Amino acid sequence: MTIGLEHYLALGALLFCIGFFIALSKKNAVGVLIGVELMLNAVNLTLVAFSRFGSAEVALSTQVFVVFIIAVAAAEVAVGLALALVVYRNRQTISVDRTTLLKG
Amino acid sequence: MSDFGFHLAFWALAAMTLGGASMILISRNLIHAVIWLVMSMLGIAGLYLTLSADFIAVVQVLIYVGAISVLMLFAIMLTPRAERDNSQTKISAPAGLVVLLVMIATMWVAVDTDWGPVRDGALTEQARLIGESLIKHYILPFEIGAVLLTAALVGAIALARQDEEDGPVHAASLQAELDGETSIDPADVIDPPLASEPSDGGTTS
Amino acid sequence: MSGLSGFSSVLGAWYDFRDLNNLQRLITEWIAEWGPDWIASIVTGVLGALAILGVIGPTLLILIWVERKVIARFQQRYGPNRVGPKGLLQPVADAVKLILKEQLAPRSADKLLFFLPPVLIFVPGILIWGVLPFGPRMSVADLNVGVLFLLAVSGTAVLVLFMAGWSSNNKYALFGAMRAVAMSISYEVPMVLALLTLVVFSGTMSVNGIVEWQQQEDVIFILLFPLSAVAFFFAASAELNRTPADISEAESEIVAGYHTEYSGMRFGLFYAVELGNTLVVSGFIATFFLGGWWLWGLDQWVPSWIILLVKTGAVYFLLIWTRGTLPRLRVDQLMGFCWKALVPATLLFVVVAFVERTLLISEGWDTTVALPIMAVFNIALTLGAVMLFARVSRPAALRRPARIRMAGAEIGGLRAARQVASRTEEPQFQVGGD
Repeated sequence: MTIGLEHYLALGALLFCIGFFIALSKKNAVGVLIGVELMLNAVNLTLVAFSRFGSAEVALSTQVFVVFIIAVAAAEVAVGLALALVVYRNRQTISVDRTTLLKG
Repeated sequence: MSDFGFHLAFWALAAMTLGGASMILISRNLIHAVIWLVMSMLGIAGLYLTLSADFIAVVQVLIYVGAISVLMLFAIMLTPRAERDNSQTKISAPAGLVVLLVMIATMWVAVDTDWGPVRDGALTEQARLIGESLIKHYILPFEIGAVLLTAALVGAIALARQDEEDGPVHAASLQAELDGETSIDPADVIDPPLASEPSDGGTTS
Repeated sequence: MSGLSGFSSVLGAWYDFRDLNNLQRLITEWIAEWGPDWIASIVTGVLGALAILGVIGPTLLILIWVERKVIARFQQRYGPNRVGPKGLLQPVADAVKLILKEQLAPRSADKLLFFLPPVLIFVPGILIWGVLPFGPRMSVADLNVGVLFLLAVSGTAVLVLFMAGWSSNNKYALFGAMRAVAMSISYEVPMVLALLTLVVFSGTMSVNGIVEWQQQEDVIFILLFPLSAVAFFFAASAELNRTPADISEAESEIVAGYHTEYSGMRFGLFYAVELGNTLVVSGFIATFFLGGWWLWGLDQWVPSWIILLVKTGAVYFLLIWTRGTLPRLRVDQLMGFCWKALVPATLLFVVVAFVERTLLISEGWDTTVALPIMAVFNIALTLGAVMLFARVSRPAALRRPARIRMAGAEIGGLRAARQVASRTEEPQFQVGGD
């Protein structure tokens, strides 16, 4: 059996789902951010797999896309963690199910 | 792509990636979760290497392991220990159901779709190619990305920085310390993991 | 054998010590006769790692002795002189003592994360040797993204230091870890920018490619970008936690920093990796800025790796010199120096490198004429920047912190700061949380 595109895609899908579950179910805001990072990484893995196995004209553009995703992920983490700090400062908690100011 | 060494590398790295990701779910300490995230990211970097995308792999290690995880650890250290549990919310059961459906759908798409003629070609000189396309073909997204990063930098600093007068958490206790009335333990501000210590969330405010 | 045309008799034989790559090539060819490729790559990889370990280990023992002796000379003492001739066996005795010592672990330490760091710290420490070229083809892995690899690998060590400090469950260890992380994140920026000048100017990210560029253009980079070299030197010595910048293990403030709770050989491993990193960083400074294995044609007659080792030794001596001479800086001084001096200066030289590269490539200036002019211009610019910095940052401005930030107030500096405040009674001394 050779390891081909499907293996990487399945791995990416599994990783995406684990990240999705973490992002949905974790109490802690930093935990949610970890889940989002995992999801972005799963997408990156899928893109790089397509860059290797897909048609030749997407080989470069997928990798450029990955670079952009990594840049955006870095920005997202920085702002997200700053937000978590501010939320902690104002509410004394960063648990996402206790920051319910907007819930009537 | 079919020799034994490649198989070994793929399965070991896949196990490392998925194992690290699952341990994030299980581990009860948030700092452990970040360490497991690092392991997962290293596994993904290794998978990039098996896909011969070495530039992306090195960038992955540089940014995720060297920067983002350290940033997360810093943010965790800046909140007190009571906020460091990594448990699930109440909606985890329905969330699990949704995730299961998504997993079935994505796996089905990944395995069942006919992806057409599969090429097996790796880019050579990726750093040069990516760099050239960034400043030629993708110049507008590149500039927007630069603006986004600058905005994120400024925004993160503006959010996280406290004004000198109304810093609500520590300013009062620091003033007291300066006046020589009470003494605060630095460990209240940034505290090591003591196994059985009562939670101190917000007591220093 | 492109680099060594001075002799031509025993080229390519396994005992040709001038190019150690022959050994690896012969092993690969021998395996390729009977086995698959991956065995060859694994065998040569393991052999490379073993060679690094086997050479570096004994070298470190000697270097400990050299460093202690040299520092003793700087401080007008004798240094180790009891064990063995001239104290040469002192490091061996120390190592034996460390191995025999009891390994303590705090009861409330985080078990897994406490035991892992002394082992994990070896991974970047060894990997970083892989891209150091000892000769034209003599690096374990000549990656075409070698410079990025160097930065990525050295960045992961921070995480290990953080694990060590946090899991010890000791406030001094934690302070040391936080300081190490903060400082190494900060000093990574001028380091990256200093290397970016070289990458921009030579147009390659391969470490060996940078050396070959210097060989081809007959110039070493310290002449072209002296400020980048100085910034890289200082940033590297800060990343290495060496004495002008060793605030993360300052024994007069926070016991021993992140390895306070590590005893016996666990501490020994941290120490060994730190020394090994010092050596490899000297090697990289020699490679990037002093021409590496190349020295104006001398590499035709002398084996390239000997040239590199001599240059590495010179840089290492410079590192010992700074360590023996300069006093330890304060946290806010170090951070301020990084962000207010090194980052703008290196950024300026990145722009300069862009402009000069454009002049060379697009305008087609003749390199034999243009490079000396650029070197003179850059040296003048460097001197101007240094003088500007010296004028702007008067010693008084550095000695008085404007306000206590996280590094000062919350990590232990409060009492000292109060004493300073009461002694000098300066009203501008503000207190604020961060």
